[in-house]
Amino acid sequence: MGYAPLPKWASEPCIMGIDEAGRGPVLGPMVYGCLYCPLSYQKTLASLDFADSKTLKEEKREELFEKLKANDSIGWEVDIIDPKDLSAKMLKRVKINLNEISHNSAMGLVSRVLDMGVLLTEVYLDTVGDAEKYRIKLSERFPSVKFVVSKKADSIYPVVSGASIVAKVTRDRTLRNWVLDETAENMHRNFGSGYPGDPVTKAWLDHHKHPVFGFPSLVRFSWGTCASYSKDMVEVIWESDKLDEDGSGSGSSSGKHQLKLSKFGFSGSKRKSEDVESTGKGRSKFFQARKLELLSEF
Amino acid sequence: MFEVRLVQGSVLKKVVEAIRELVTDANFDCSSTGLSLQAMDSSHVALVALLLRSDGFEHFRCDRNVSMGMNLANVSKILRTAGNDDIITLKADDDGDVLTFMFESPNQDRISDIEMKLMDIKSEHLGIPDAEYEAVVKMPSQEFLRICKDLSNIGDTVVISVTKEGVKFSTRGDIGNANIVCRQNTTVDKPEDSTTIQMKEPVSLMFALRYMNSFTKATSLSSSVTISMSSDLPIVVEYKIADMGYLRFYLAPKIEDDEDQA
Repeated sequence: MGYAPLPKWASEPCIMGIDEAGRGPVLGPMVYGCLYCPLSYQKTLASLDFADSKTLKEEKREELFEKLKANDSIGWEVDIIDPKDLSAKMLKRVKINLNEISHNSAMGLVSRVLDMGVLLTEVYLDTVGDAEKYRIKLSERFPSVKFVVSKKADSIYPVVSGASIVAKVTRDRTLRNWVLDETAENMHRNFGSGYPGDPVTKAWLDHHKHPVFGFPSLVRFSWGTCASYSKDMVEVIWESDKLDEDGSGSGSSSGKHQLKLSKFGFSGSKRKSEDVESTGKGRSKFFQARKLELLSEF
Repeated sequence: MFEVRLVQGSVLKKVVEAIRELVTDANFDCSSTGLSLQAMDSSHVALVALLLRSDGFEHFRCDRNVSMGMNLANVSKILRTAGNDDIITLKADDDGDVLTFMFESPNQDRISDIEMKLMDIKSEHLGIPDAEYEAVVKMPSQEFLRICKDLSNIGDTVVISVTKEGVKFSTRGDIGNANIVCRQNTTVDKPEDSTTIQMKEPVSLMFALRYMNSFTKATSLSSSVTISMSSDLPIVVEYKIADMGYLRFYLAPKIEDDEDQA
């Protein structure tokens, strides 16, 4: 994306803005966009009436995006983070939170642009988490670049506004052209804004949930909103968990074998429930398994 | 008739919270000597042994030995309605199938009683082999909690090695290895902070951290924990319950697969 051959001005000192789109919604990708231009172009950039993408109408955003694509003095890049990726990272055993993912994406963009050979001197971006800590983190990683981290950067700095347009338009287009991986009857793509509070989004989630598989992979499973839908879903018993618990999971990579207490002379172990013919707690396994019930009348 | 009165009701609350993750249903065995419980976890890898001696209760009456089956999640629900300073009384008829919990607030202005249905749990009393342990480590329970928690961020098993120098907890995970060594130290003014090691033979055994972390739920019962190990026996992690008894956890070790699968 962006420019294939490196523009002439790349060796001049350049500024860059970074902004994100789609951090809050429960579905779709999160997009990080950046926009860079030579420092000398900064004044002209201010006259292009870029504003915070949230304040612009969709048509205006599209128009501005087409304009900046055609503009030779501006370069841009995007990083699209798949909802599957977000879910996976945030739900992993060692969890990565959304701020961390955001930081990494922003740093990825900076290093991508630097690697292209653009001489970045200043980078402007909106804060994620604590502004000062974020700035220090970025400065440590890229000592040659001056970072300006501030709240509302997308409405203060035109270069960040531009980046927000890049990000927002990319996210909108991605979502518009999203091909659902899942094929089930009655699926539609009328998912509203994607924000958890939107009634259209709620209706879509409700309609597209599956008792076993949850939601289509467009949805960020890690969002708190999703947990409330999973209440009436079926519980899945993973065979591998059971094996792990038994310690006899031969497929487990650990190569370690859990011994049982019975091996150490802990005698008189509890009988397995399968062996118990009948307990006070319920009907015998025999009847349960065959779905035989007592009838008082027929 | 069974009736016991425990002034320090929080002890019972803590005990139940400490074991309910490991054991779902268990029999509380009552005799004139005290209240005890013994249960294995569902995968027969860990065992819980609890003893609350009768002399630790303000009042203890148990006419004949009874075994009361309870679901620990339910017991926990009931005990959560008791305040931390409440006095707890347990009552049951010899042939009844309910246990009555009575909670009295310290200034006697609030009394609640809750009846719980008992369950019939088939379990035999387990024989725990008597053993002399090769290494016994006593250390602050908070320290042990922290070690288990920290190591489980890195790996899922812990190797506990006791040598003359100290006790070493080590783990290996995808991101790397970790070792924590605690040396013997005795502070005269704060005996609960000391770490002491009694050792006949160096011992090194591997355990699942998942269980260890579950044992450390008992940390609030005691300021120190005693870990006893022998090379051919399950580890014993013991929390003393002041003036009353103990809560012990037994855990079978893990071994490297190739040694065992022969």
